[in-house]
Amino acid sequence: MKIRTIRYYFKEGFANSYRNKLMSLASVLIVVASLIVFGIFVLISLNMQHNISIWKEQPQLQAFCYEQLDGTQISRVEDVIRGDDRILSYEKVDKKQALERMREKLGKDAAILDGYGADIFPVSFVIRLKDVSNSNEVVKDLEKVTGIEKVSYSQDTVEMITRASHWFSLGSSLMIIIFLVVSVFIIANTIKLTVFARRREIGIMKYIGATDWFIRWPFVVEGVIISITGAILAFILSAYGYKVVADRFSQDTFFASTNLLSLLNIEDVWLRLAVSYAIIAVVVGAMGSFISMRRHLKV
Amino acid sequence: MVELRGVSKTYPNGTVALRDVNLKLDKGEFVFLVGPSGSGKSTLVKLLLKEEDATEGEVYVNGYDVTSMTRQEIPFLRRSLGVVFQDFRLLPNKTVYENVAFAMIITEALPKEIRRQVPMALALVGLSRKANMYPNQLSGGEQQRVALARALVNNPALLIADEPTGNLDPETSWEIMKLLSEINHRGTTVIVATHEKSIVDEMKKRVVSISKGLIVRDQEKGLYRDEDKNNPILF
Repeated sequence: MKIRTIRYYFKEGFANSYRNKLMSLASVLIVVASLIVFGIFVLISLNMQHNISIWKEQPQLQAFCYEQLDGTQISRVEDVIRGDDRILSYEKVDKKQALERMREKLGKDAAILDGYGADIFPVSFVIRLKDVSNSNEVVKDLEKVTGIEKVSYSQDTVEMITRASHWFSLGSSLMIIIFLVVSVFIIANTIKLTVFARRREIGIMKYIGATDWFIRWPFVVEGVIISITGAILAFILSAYGYKVVADRFSQDTFFASTNLLSLLNIEDVWLRLAVSYAIIAVVVGAMGSFISMRRHLKV
Repeated sequence: MVELRGVSKTYPNGTVALRDVNLKLDKGEFVFLVGPSGSGKSTLVKLLLKEEDATEGEVYVNGYDVTSMTRQEIPFLRRSLGVVFQDFRLLPNKTVYENVAFAMIITEALPKEIRRQVPMALALVGLSRKANMYPNQLSGGEQQRVALARALVNNPALLIADEPTGNLDPETSWEIMKLLSEINHRGTTVIVATHEKSIVDEMKKRVVSISKGLIVRDQEKGLYRDEDKNNPILF
């Protein structure tokens, strides 16, 4: 294929989509809508994964000793924890630190702790596991260790959220597929109109010896032009929308102070968004054209 | 150049368009293909362009074995010949120049080559001054001349004209026929399917007469209708 021929395909592709303005515009809008829905799902999904990974970073287990344990008993418990090769690392929180942490948590209400000493707090161990999947087993074993009163386990929540995000991805994939199929058919329909409008021209081209692909390429280009235009618009809209939401979110005092949930910055997500839009646009556009050509363009 | 051997064509609906046709054209010939509508002349033209496939027999055009040709090869067969139709088949949104150049663009010809060839083809048909006009600004005869220029621009060895004067008045028809004759003198083999009796009779070229799918007459310097006027089977 020669450069000037490729230039011809693009020229014709643009001319086609321009000549068919209204349908092209409708198709572009459908592509924009589908991609924005897709983008929303992707962004939610990315943020869920982001938060899950943050939660996973957080102490997975916290083993609390009975508060009346003395130093030797505690170091015996520590020995057990140190000896467990399923444990990646641990951190000892002594009574004083426990009090400090509680004060921090309570903030301006810390006054209620006045009058109490650090004695009322148990010594605890914050434990990180090498492999999250055997956390249940580790919890059970730790609870059997003498001196440990209870083991708190944030993993339940993480697992639940992981499962939820799994179902969410599954559900959204299904929706995305439906939307993309709709886009493909709308584009196919637009191309069909162009093919019909140019039937005579196509016939003439065949008579004077145009190859099948010489006739087909401009239609492929037309489909891709439509979907790429849609992708660019969708990208601008969704990136801007996300930025607004993320900015609002980071200024929100509740989320900012609790650290419960954090949103990725637009800087972290735009590239992934742009790349996935571009890939989908090319595939959707080309598929739309091919379906249309298979059905209506008997070259 | 062109050869048909034992060619028959039956359409899927059962219509028999050609029966056991044998025909041979040499390089540089000028042949009239005559016969009433439905006689099979159009089918014969379609077989040469591989718009239809022969049910039986072999077709050779410009060195191509048309019968066993694959779909991918068809464009190259068509590039090796020029075709002109009754309804001109020009692209309405392209100028005269662009219409002619288009036949070269599809062959991926060099722009330099296109700039050289197109004016030559337009000059040959006498339309140099109307290069920038659109088909709807031209008369029927002029449009057919554009179609001729387009058919000739790639220098084909064979020119096929299917009822080229069917939409034209007698005077214009003559101009087109003279042009075809001139093209033939330059060495191009020309096949003209027509039922313009007066022109065929006047030009005294080879006449192949088809009726009901059979070649009923093949005559050098023939007339449109000859002694077979009296043959009750044919007319």
